Amino acid sequence: MEEKDLGQITFHGEGSKLFGIYIVNLLLTIFTLGLYYPWAKAALLQYVYQETEFEGSRFTFHGTGKEMFIGFIKAIGIFIVIYAFLILCILSKQPLIMSVGFLVTYAAFILLIPIAIHGSTKYRASRSSWRGIHFGYRGDRKEFLQEFIIGALITISTFGIYYFWFVVKIRKYIFRHLRFGSVSFSYNGGGTDYFRLNLKGYFLTFITLGIYFFWYVKDLFRFFVDNIQMEQNGEIVQFRSTTTAGGYFKLIFGNFFIVILTLGLGTPWATVRTINFIFSNILIEGKLDVNAIEQTEMDYRDATGEDISDMIDIGLV
Amino acid sequence: MYHFNILYFDGKLSVTHQAILHLKPDHWIIQFTDQDSIEQIVRWEIDGIERDLGFNSLYIFRYGDFPKQTIECKDENLLVALKELYPGKPFFSKQINFLLSQNTTIITGLACALVGFIALAYFYILPWFAETVAENIPVSIETQMGETMYDNIITQYHKNDSLTRSVNDFVKEINFKTDYPVEVTVVKEDQMNAFALPGGHIVVFDKLLSKMKTKEELAALLAHEVAHVHYRHSLKSIFRSLSGYLLISLIFNDVNGIAAVLADNSNMLLNLSYSRKLEQDADEKAVEILQVNNLSLKGFADLFTLLKSESNDSKTLNLLSTHPLTDNRIKYAKDAAFHQRVVRNNDKLEEKWREIADQFK
Repeated sequence: MEEKDLGQITFHGEGSKLFGIYIVNLLLTIFTLGLYYPWAKAALLQYVYQETEFEGSRFTFHGTGKEMFIGFIKAIGIFIVIYAFLILCILSKQPLIMSVGFLVTYAAFILLIPIAIHGSTKYRASRSSWRGIHFGYRGDRKEFLQEFIIGALITISTFGIYYFWFVVKIRKYIFRHLRFGSVSFSYNGGGTDYFRLNLKGYFLTFITLGIYFFWYVKDLFRFFVDNIQMEQNGEIVQFRSTTTAGGYFKLIFGNFFIVILTLGLGTPWATVRTINFIFSNILIEGKLDVNAIEQTEMDYRDATGEDISDMIDIGLV
Repeated sequence: MYHFNILYFDGKLSVTHQAILHLKPDHWIIQFTDQDSIEQIVRWEIDGIERDLGFNSLYIFRYGDFPKQTIECKDENLLVALKELYPGKPFFSKQINFLLSQNTTIITGLACALVGFIALAYFYILPWFAETVAENIPVSIETQMGETMYDNIITQYHKNDSLTRSVNDFVKEINFKTDYPVEVTVVKEDQMNAFALPGGHIVVFDKLLSKMKTKEELAALLAHEVAHVHYRHSLKSIFRSLSGYLLISLIFNDVNGIAAVLADNSNMLLNLSYSRKLEQDADEKAVEILQVNNLSLKGFADLFTLLKSESNDSKTLNLLSTHPLTDNRIKYAKDAAFHQRVVRNNDKLEEKWREIADQFK
């Protein structure tokens, strides 16, 4: 039995390797007119996971291009149906039908967001493993949809103020249902704290003409990381952020110059820097028994949510 | 030779087992001692073994139904042994990844090819494609698009009804050599500008009208705008900038906002030079229209001089960027006027012009 008090995830990825993957992916995506995209994504994720190490073992992404391709096709189908409906409504030239068309389209897009978050979290989690133990997301789609729609409606009716509580609530829901074998997760942040942090960050950034921005992102990162908890057999394991504003400054400016001076070709190196920065600034505190995590998840292969979320371009969590 | 040190995970628990892998002709044997010091033997049939796509020197194999068992091996000799023992088994079929891990010259070559291809696409293929698409859009769709754009745009302005009527009367006296119906709308605006929409709508700002001295100037302006309509210039510009933007946002997909803004602006620069070319085409067509109608090209030169006087005014930098007015264009109009042979006075047009000019008195 091995027990550790401080753990860290390390990333071994190299810009040059990632560059190769990017190039091959881009070429194939262009020459297949985009059809290669799911395989490109799978290769990228597989590489990033494979170079990510915890306690001497690498992570694995099991998702395949084929799975994501099926999801891709389904997602495209959904978008075609929505747009076809909208276009039909517009072609009718009846103001009433047109406004119904727009309303339905908006509603459909708003509904797609939680469906995409749910689906892609579930897919991503189930296709991620470490030492053969799979992650899993056990959220209920209906429940999640309900929570999301209620939150979205309150946000709209409070002119956006509720947004901060909404985000935290969604995050809590997702983490509460996230599993890593027999290890469970939770998120402990509060909406009020999140609101205060954003309020302060926003105004100080404004007043200091942007200089405070680096402290602002540091605080956001800390709020995200420090509130994540893992639990294993009653033992609590805590995540701790060690980022500094200076660190963020170096990361953002470094990446900016790398990308600009290479006209975008240096993006893989910037990506590696970013991943390195994130992992090297997360400490895992507590006694996680890394040899006693049991497999608890079932197999799940539907990547539709993953692809919808790609299309409406939402960053997860 | 066919024994390797590996790590074995049974798929049920995260515990790592130090194990020995024995390669046999039709199966693998994995041998290890478990937590309770009991000797364990696991048998993997060759047909159920899968290899993970590998990017580093760690070789991962999986076996069985979910949850799969996993072995990890760092010994490069394993690959050699696998090739020898199972030449028919596709452990190495992942061509792309194989290519990736092997050859830096190939990657560099591919990168160069890609950059070249993107440049080619951006400067030649996409513009050509956009133009072809714009040219082949049926007139009915073009008119419908123009109509929608017109409905959206016109709500931002105050229409001057009587000037609109008079200018449209004026239009009827000129042969514009186009199948598109020309429909002018005059709006109240304190700027000297005019623009054309797909399908035949032309919007003229009344300030520009008020500064004109002769019917030839108005005819030149209209001829120029009709030329834009005739050649589908606005459609072409829209498609070009859209396609350019699409490609750029594709390349800069995951890059931060600042780079995207830079990329966006560089696209605008390219479009600007394109729009200069379109202006030139429109000028040439306008000269042709005026000549067919035997109208003096001096009006064309006068129009440019008038617009130039305005563009010196800093508040109309906008105009400068979309309708680049260079001395070259004035010179071009003057040259054309100098070489013009037939000029006839058109009394009816003059009469219509008076009606317009009178409204500014």
